[in-house]
Parts: sequence; structure tokens; C-alpha cells
Amino acid sequence: MAAPSLEPARPATLRLAFSPDMVSARAVSVAIRNFLAEQGVPEKELFSYELCIAEASSNAVEYARGPSRNMKPFAEALFTPSQIELRVTDHTEGFVLPEKIPPPSPLTDRGRGLFLIQSVMDEVRYLRGTKENILVMRKKRSFVRPAAASNGEGAAGLLSLGTCKRLLAEATEQMSMMEDQLLLRTETLSSVFRCCAELGRVDKVSEGFGGRLLIDLLHLTSADWYVLRMLSPDGRKLLVSAASESDLVSGPIELWNADGLPTGIESAVAASQTATRFDNREHSNPSEPLKSVGPEGTGLVCPLCFGGTLVGTIAVGRRNGDFPLGRLQDEVIRIFSEFLAIQALNQRSQEAKLRSRIVARELEIAQDIQRLLLPRTLPQLSGFGLAGGWQSANEVGGDFYDAIAIGDQSLLLMIADVMGKGVPAALFATTMRGLLRGLASRSCDPSELLGGLNRLLYKELSSVAMFITAQIVHVDLKNRQLTAASAGHCPLFYVPPGRRTIATMSIQGLPLGVMPETAYPHVAARMGSPTALLLYTDGLTDTNSPTGKPYGARRLGAWLRANTVPGRTAKELRDRLATEVNQFRGDALMTDDQAFLILTDEAADAVRPTSGGTRGFRPRHGTFLFPASASEHQTTP
Amino acid sequence: MKIDNQKQCLSISEIPELTAANSANFRDQVQSALKDSPSVIEINLSQTRFMDSSGLGALFALYRATAQRKGVILRLLNPAPEIQQLLELTQMQLLFEIVRR
Repeated sequence: MAAPSLEPARPATLRLAFSPDMVSARAVSVAIRNFLAEQGVPEKELFSYELCIAEASSNAVEYARGPSRNMKPFAEALFTPSQIELRVTDHTEGFVLPEKIPPPSPLTDRGRGLFLIQSVMDEVRYLRGTKENILVMRKKRSFVRPAAASNGEGAAGLLSLGTCKRLLAEATEQMSMMEDQLLLRTETLSSVFRCCAELGRVDKVSEGFGGRLLIDLLHLTSADWYVLRMLSPDGRKLLVSAASESDLVSGPIELWNADGLPTGIESAVAASQTATRFDNREHSNPSEPLKSVGPEGTGLVCPLCFGGTLVGTIAVGRRNGDFPLGRLQDEVIRIFSEFLAIQALNQRSQEAKLRSRIVARELEIAQDIQRLLLPRTLPQLSGFGLAGGWQSANEVGGDFYDAIAIGDQSLLLMIADVMGKGVPAALFATTMRGLLRGLASRSCDPSELLGGLNRLLYKELSSVAMFITAQIVHVDLKNRQLTAASAGHCPLFYVPPGRRTIATMSIQGLPLGVMPETAYPHVAARMGSPTALLLYTDGLTDTNSPTGKPYGARRLGAWLRANTVPGRTAKELRDRLATEVNQFRGDALMTDDQAFLILTDEAADAVRPTSGGTRGFRPRHGTFLFPASASEHQTTP
Repeated sequence: MKIDNQKQCLSISEIPELTAANSANFRDQVQSALKDSPSVIEINLSQTRFMDSSGLGALFALYRATAQRKGVILRLLNPAPEIQQLLELTQMQLLFEIVRR
């Protein structure tokens, strides 16, 4: 009858401490060889094990530095008939063990030791700790059968029925093991697919989704616990985003301590982007966050990284140290880690795309607002022409103007510059336009209007530390009388009576939004005949040439004088000024918004009806926009 | 370890093992024997039961020390199967002539 196959429940173990010198290291490898020989390991296998211990223990001696040179390394052998595990504990600074070391060139002096170990063993892991590291080397053994003769078998090549049965049982066991492995891989795959299907409609990887995937992972690997940590946005900390139990949720882990060293197992894994096994029984660091899984906890910490980008770490393991995760489980955890990392990175890029879509949409909205800013048409008044020009340095600007007809003999003109750019500036501009139109129904005194606007806008403007410069001019067309007030705005130009010259009207006044109660004095003047009146924002005079020279108020005044000739319409003047300023700027970048309003005498026959209006015009950078007026067709030069 | 230097032939034998514990000593002894400029260097591994990467390193050091001299033959005699395997795994057999006698 065949002897029953018995396997020891615990491995036979030899653990030896040795002095950190080469002779002791050598003696340890001989002792371990002898121990394995006593366990019945055949002669031809012993060489490999002796070699591994010799390599690992001489490394432990060679690379010890400083006080570690006085600490004794350990060598261990754990024997079961189906596996031999060798361990060497060193007190060196440790190293990163590559997954697979390539064969070293025969022409190098170093690097053969670890290559040899990886070549002869099935599995090699390097567990790095703060004060000690453990090189774990495992080799599966083919089933050792007792010598055939002892079972009374006959001639070579012929096996007894008992042996055949045993071999069959072994083969069946192996097949069932393979089946298990296959099943595990299939389940892994289906779990990944399940999560893929969920992806489109679920929350963030770092939240619900990652947690659900990891519960699947626990079932697949029959692990007890997991901790998922994601890298903080500044890339300096690992924050728990999911854990199997609440007692595993610890505070943020700094990746590096003050000395620039990793602060624990997870931070070391994040820093090296290399998966590491750990065993709490072998780590003495009391501040290690993974101590919370229990004194006998073991497991694997994997980096969540893809294409060199780290997003976090995942730690998975068991609480009972006697049943650590196996190689197959490690593999499954690695697959999951990579999958999670890819998902997290995908999600990140989708969010970035969404953000850029939102920004583009915001700009569209801003442009719509901008369209509302400028009047669609300017009032038509007999004998006068009115035209305005506007261009923005950005998608939306804060410069704008408006013109309101008061009866058929007078006109209220406003030009303003909201400090700041973009949507907030444009919103203030539209608000202010609305307010002005409201106030103008009760008064057309520029001083009162500016005072009223300041009162109404002060609170909003001061709460966001913004202000508006503005100028309001009341034009009595019949009497050619100008009345103007200014809230910190640049002077206006006009042609006074009797002389062919240009006058500047400069009026004191604080910008809107600076003081709650402000008085805005007004200044009155008479216009000549024919006349021209020009209101503008400082973006016009601040326009720089390619050599950095500003256009300036003096040049603007000179231009107006040269161009105010009888018979020239407001539209013509406007077109000429736009061309003048753009030519002056040349290739230079536009740095500020520009707006202006021009009023001139125009013969009645110059008045043409507006055709087509300004519907649908779209602001563009660097191009003046001209709303329709009494005297023009809307055109873009 | 026995070192025999005759007629341009340096023979090294009786090496029970070549490891981190004794490879430095091996290097020194062989290095001093190289002063006589042998044209053949034979290392007899018949009695060598064990060798590790330091031992391989010592053999490599010997190769490097003689690489400058033209026509020097480096020969390893009768390595045990395990050691032969080690030499092949690390491609050291490309640097030495391996001979069985």
C-alpha cells in the first residue's frame, strides 16, 4: 500500500544571525545548505540555495553603512516539501529591486548577484523598511516522491498501481489548481468589465467607483482589508479616499519627511512607483500608518500609476500573518491598480476637456453681453451726424458709449470705461447703461446723472474693488450748447465758435465707485459751426506704436483739427479715426479697449436711412465696430 | 590553493571554493603570479565545490588583467556542472576556454 502523503503544517525553519563580515556570511550560506540537505533536498538543488544565501548575505555585509555595520543581519530558510523560502534581513539603506534584472554583460565587474538570485528562484521580493529590509526568495519544488524502490516497484519504467493512482491524484490536484487560477483571472476580467460599464455614469474614481472596485478585489483575492489613497493636488500628500473599514482611515501621509525620506511604506511605494510587500511582524516603525491593520497584518502596496504619472496608492492584505497573499493575488492586485490608475487619469483628462468647454461657453456668453453693451442704433437728429467706434483687446471689454435723444433738439452722450476686463466689467457696463436710461427720463443734467449713477453703483462697485470712469455730455443742438460732467474720465475735444481750432474740456470728478457721496461739477461751453465733438476712452490715446510710443491726446487733437472740414460726415470721420489709430498701432499688440463717439454738423441730405441695422454683429479683436447711426450704414472697415 | 608557474604556464589548482570570503585573496595571489607574464593561465576547478558572484568577479578581474596582453590563453579546467551552469548563465564562458581533461 502506498504511504499516505503527509505535509507538515508549518515549515521547518532555520534562522541565523551573523556577524557583518564576509567570512560569517559565507558560514551562514553553508549552514543553510546543510540544513536543507537534512530536510532531504537533493544535492543538485542545494547549490542554487547556497548561492542565493551567499549572494544576499554578502550584499547585506557589503552595503551596510555607518552604525548599521555593527548590526547583525539574519538569514532564514523555511522548508516545506512544496516550497523553499529563503530570507535575508539586512540593515542597509536598501535598493529598488527591478521586476526583472537583465543578464549583465560578461564585461562588467558587478551586478551579477541579484541577477543570479532572480535566475534560480521563482519569486524574489525586497521588502523595504525604515531600519531593515528583507530579501525574500521563493522556489516552488516539484513534488518529491519517495524512492521507487521503497514502494517495492519493479523494473525501471514500470510503475505500481498505487504509484499511478497517486500520480493521477497529483495531476488532478494540479489541474484543479490551474482551474482555480483560470477562474480567478476570469473573475478579475469580468470585474474590470463591470466597472468599465459603470464608468460612464458614476462618480469619481477616488470616491464611490474606486471603493466598489476594491470590494470586488477583496473578494477575488480573499483579502481582509484595503486602503486606497489618492495623491493630493499639490502632489505632496497621500489622502485616504476609501478604506474597507473606518479604523483604517488615517490622516494625510506626507510623501517626504523633513530629511527628504519617505515617511512610511505607502509613501515609499509612491516615491519609487514600485509595488512592495510588507509584513507588520517585521517592521518596527511605530508611526507606520499600515500598523492599523494589526500586528500580524501582511499585504501588498501598489502604486496607482500609468505612463509614469502617479495618482495614488492602494494597500491590500490580510490580518493574519500566517496566510499572506500569494503570487497570484499579487498579480490580480497589480492588474486592478493599473486599471484604477488609467481610469483616474482618463477622468482627469475628461474634466480638463469639460473645463475648457465651460470656458469657451463663458466667452460666448460674454460676447453676447458685449453685443448688448453698445446701442444698436444711434439717435437720428436733423442737421447732425453721430457715429461711434469701439474695439476690444479681449473677448469682452469694459469700454462702452451710449447716446439718448432728449426730444428732437437735444442729445445725451455718455462714454465710460469700467476698470477691469471680461465678464464682470461687461456686466457693470450693461447695468450702468440701464441705470442711465432710467435716470435720464427724470433729469438730463450730467452732474445729477453722474451723482445718481455713483449712488446706485457705489455699493456693488466698492464691494468688488472696481470703479468706472465716465463722462456725460448734454448737447443742446439748437443753441449749440454743451454741458458736461466727468467721473475721472479723460477730457473731450470740440470745435469752439469762431476759430478753426480744437478745444479740450477737462472736468474734475472722482470715478464712480470711489466715494459714496460725490458731487460732479459740470462745465458748459458753446460749440462752433460747423463743429465736431469727440468723446473717447483712454485706450485710444494710450494706443502704442510698434516702437512703444503712445498715440497721445495732442496727436488726437491735431488729427481732429485737420479732419474737421465742412461736408465730412461723422461716419467718414469715424472711419478715418479708426484707420488712423490702427495704422499707428501697426503690428503692436492691443493692450486696452478703445471707444469713441463723434458728433458733427451734417447737411440734411447726408442723412441716409439705416439699412439692415446691426443685428448679429460679432465683436472681433482689433477691428472697430460701428453701430448704425442717423448718418451711416453699419460697416466694418 | 596551489599556484604552479612553469614554462610560461600558470596553473592554479586546489581551490575548494571561490566566494566573497576568499576572492580578494585569490585576486592578490594570482595578480602577483602574473608578473612572470605567462602565455597560458589554467585554473583548475576540479575541486571547486562552490562559487558565487564574487568568485565570478575574481575570474573577470583575471580576464581584465590579461586582456592587454596579446595571445594569453585563459583556461578553466573541469568545472562542476553547477559551476559550468553559473559560467554560462553569466556568459563568462565567452571570456574563458572551458576544457575537460
